[in-house]
Amino acid sequence: MWLLLAVMGPGIIAASAGNDSGGISTYSQAGAKYGYQMLWMMFLMTFSLVIVQEMAGRMGAVTGKGFAALIRERFGVRPTFFAMLALLASNAATSVAEFAGIAAAMELFGVSRYVAVPIAAVVVWLLVVRGSFRNVEKVLLALSLVFVAYIITAFAAKPDWLVVGRSLVTPSFQMNPAFFSLAVALTGTTIAPWMQFFVQSNIVDKGTSIKEWSLAKWDVIAGAVAANFVAIFIIVTTATVLHPKGIVISLASDAAIALTPLVGHYATILFAIGLLSASFLAACVLPLTAGYSICEAFGWEAGVDRKFSEAPIFIGIYTFVIFVGAAIILIPGANLIAVMILSQVINGMMLPFLLIFMMIIINDKRIMGQYTNGRIYNVIAWITIGSAIALTGALLVLTALGVT
Amino acid sequence: MIYLTRMLGKPVVDAGGERIGVISDIAISTGEVFPRVTSLAFLGPGKTPFMLSWRKFVEGVDEDRITLNAPRDELRFSYLQPDEVLLSHDLLDKQIVDTQGMKVVRVNDLKLSESRGQLRLLGAEVGLRGVLRSLWPPLETAAAAAAKLFGRPLPESIIAWNYMDLLDRDLSHVQLSVTHKRLHELHPADVADVLEQLSPSQRARVFEHLDNDQAADAISELEDELQADVLDDLTEERASDILEIMDPDDAADIIGDLPYDKAETLLHLMGVREARQVRKLLGYREKSAGGIMTPEVTTVTEDMTVQQVIDQLRANAGDLENIYYIYVVSAKRVLDGVISLRDLIVASPETLVSDIVTRDLFTVGPDDDQEQVADMMSKYDLLALPVVDESGRILGIVTVDDALDVMEEENAEDLELAMGSAQSAADAWLWLRRTGSWAVIWAMIAFTVAFAVRALSRTGTAGGPPWLLGVSGAVLFLPVVLRIVEDLSARATTGLIEGRGETGRPPLGRRLLTDSLVGLVLGSLAALAVFAITDIVTSQPTFAAALAVPIGLTLLVMTLLSTAVAVLAERASDSGQRVSQSLLAGGLLILSALIYLGLAGVAWSFAARALSGAGV
Repeated sequence: MWLLLAVMGPGIIAASAGNDSGGISTYSQAGAKYGYQMLWMMFLMTFSLVIVQEMAGRMGAVTGKGFAALIRERFGVRPTFFAMLALLASNAATSVAEFAGIAAAMELFGVSRYVAVPIAAVVVWLLVVRGSFRNVEKVLLALSLVFVAYIITAFAAKPDWLVVGRSLVTPSFQMNPAFFSLAVALTGTTIAPWMQFFVQSNIVDKGTSIKEWSLAKWDVIAGAVAANFVAIFIIVTTATVLHPKGIVISLASDAAIALTPLVGHYATILFAIGLLSASFLAACVLPLTAGYSICEAFGWEAGVDRKFSEAPIFIGIYTFVIFVGAAIILIPGANLIAVMILSQVINGMMLPFLLIFMMIIINDKRIMGQYTNGRIYNVIAWITIGSAIALTGALLVLTALGVT
Repeated sequence: MIYLTRMLGKPVVDAGGERIGVISDIAISTGEVFPRVTSLAFLGPGKTPFMLSWRKFVEGVDEDRITLNAPRDELRFSYLQPDEVLLSHDLLDKQIVDTQGMKVVRVNDLKLSESRGQLRLLGAEVGLRGVLRSLWPPLETAAAAAAKLFGRPLPESIIAWNYMDLLDRDLSHVQLSVTHKRLHELHPADVADVLEQLSPSQRARVFEHLDNDQAADAISELEDELQADVLDDLTEERASDILEIMDPDDAADIIGDLPYDKAETLLHLMGVREARQVRKLLGYREKSAGGIMTPEVTTVTEDMTVQQVIDQLRANAGDLENIYYIYVVSAKRVLDGVISLRDLIVASPETLVSDIVTRDLFTVGPDDDQEQVADMMSKYDLLALPVVDESGRILGIVTVDDALDVMEEENAEDLELAMGSAQSAADAWLWLRRTGSWAVIWAMIAFTVAFAVRALSRTGTAGGPPWLLGVSGAVLFLPVVLRIVEDLSARATTGLIEGRGETGRPPLGRRLLTDSLVGLVLGSLAALAVFAITDIVTSQPTFAAALAVPIGLTLLVMTLLSTAVAVLAERASDSGQRVSQSLLAGGLLILSALIYLGLAGVAWSFAARALSGAGV
């Protein structure tokens, strides 16, 4: 067990950044509501995630350009506009989820969301403007490692491992909108669109060349695998602890109960700390990713050290994303958990469009030279895109038919 | 005006009025300020690409089509010439460097103009209008009209061909134009500005076009964090060559930031003399005189004649950063005096150095703080300042350009403060921005302490009397109050530092109004934050309020008080009395500490009564 953790160390750190509030709530709900029934999706999506992130990284290493820049140069203004609209929608929605995460965590500490969210929005904005969030980043990352506790809790909860194993490889569905909307959310949070932009620009910023990439890609792959590993254990834990009792998560405190087998009364605090730091971290990263990508696509000045008069659109975008995210949470009566999961549904709906752009670019010999996709990659990626579209389609059809 | 994005996809019609294809691209010939369009590329039936000479076959261009002057059968197709650039393929949607604005921008559209039967490229549109136009032309019209309505017309941002430099396609073999300003012809500081906006691989591409001298200059001008990165990306031979060319102090700065192995490799590859100088410099503390000095100094001895000194200068001047001062040393390089270039020129060639030497000179030690060194140079108007060791031997000189860098670095904070003197509520924003990271660190400490206190009181073993909680809370928040008050007083008294006359100051009434607004906002924000934090940790709202209210009140009072003091001090200084700004700030700080602790005491006694009344 510990050996496993040591081997996956760097990956787990990357993974916990990916498991933000939207992720935690979606995975928890999947386990609580449907038990082990959705595990097989997570198993299949591990392959999709690995391949998508590898493609994003490879594009960055080969071209030295961000995903947004490549979309613009390959497709021109009009398609880029819609791609960026999709990214902005996905980022803004996820931002809403992060502030929901902050609000939920602070409510577990007994602080009203009407106090916590405005303060958090201002603090996030300041950290971003000053570019000083890099200093806090490590602390937050370390704190969000709390979620690794799910792996241990899963063992402490003593599930029937045989059933778990079987569920991992046995596809099964329930024919109702609720099931499919959670399935779309699961896709959207596991293969979050913004993560692909983020991974690629990280590779570009580091100046990784294609030669170095053959080594560096294992970092990205390990991160992707570890992220899903933790996610699978969250589902196993909530499925073992909450599902038999018939607890469906409607409040953050319900989700926290899942950690009780390991830490007892401290479950709430532990969960709240993890949720708070993961949400906070992502709330800083998301508006920046949106700002950088959109400005990169349209050639506007960007950079946290720019004044408003120098980079009005960049600063405008991230300010917009932060404060819209916070404002929606302040609407009285908003159900935080529902908001978190809904945002991931939006992510899941936007995902296939961006992946199609990615597939066209990565198979373009003029851009990628000899580093285009192999056949296996293409097959898995297109299956992923097809399934994502099919899930969304099924959700829409079932909703339209009024099936319950 | 004709825009490329509107032309693309429009039909090409031959002399007989028959539609033979759609426009896919047009090519320009480089080498002119406003390049002529020379070729037309279009897609014929079945998407077959064709290319035609513009001069021979194009009859006319308008909004909806290109008309040719010959029927389809008489068209003769041509190929792209080496000096031609395709507008859509090579320029549209691509990143270019605007060598006039020193920016990296993306080409959103290309603007062309027709005159006397010739179509010429005016420039690249890089602004919002280009994006809107290629999105949907009516959108641009609507946006322009709306902007005009609000009195702020939406300008086109056009970059002329001769100010463009292309990043993606290597066009270095193309003679772009006589007046074409290429990246490598810019001042190194401007090149550095552009480089900072590029991704590492684009940066590497630009460096391929710079020779070693230009690269060395540009690297010296880059931001500190980027210097090591850039060098790391170059081949080791090239990196070491560039480091040799750079001034040793700049080279040492960069090598100091590299990983150990890389640094050693580069030092080995460098010339022996240069490497030794750099190694010596690396031994000094960063931000000290030794860290910023250059060891390349012109030294002469007293027994030399002026002619000999001039000859020596002529022989070595190329390598030296500064030749305006020539230092006179005795045996073992002990510094005895200095002669200036001026002294040297006005003296007759046979004069001995000992006759014109100035023995009274300023020196600093290698461990002196760089800010002191810079201050000294600015105070005495020195172009260079010698650095000597304890026994008086000269180690090197700090030159004025290094001193300017130091001052820029160290003054940034003060400058920001001075900018805060706009006396508006927007100051609060500025203040929050400046103190952001500091606040985060403090918040972490506060959380740790608070959780420790909470854990202790939970176990019940060391909860202690309730006043302990109050005192620790009050003390914990004291630094926050002081830090804020420090900024407040600085803000209020900037008028003093800048020495603005009465006319430069806003009227007293408005000043009081904005200040009480700032005070109110700051005070309530701080109080809210403190209340929230304490309430989370202790879940005792009464206690939290007892901590928060004094903080808010203190800030409000101090905002008004510091303005009042500033106004009095300004009156005093106007009437000729000297007022020490730091004394004022210190006084205000002490006062605020007293007010805060006093208020905290009062609030706590209330809270304690309320708590005991509630039986807690």
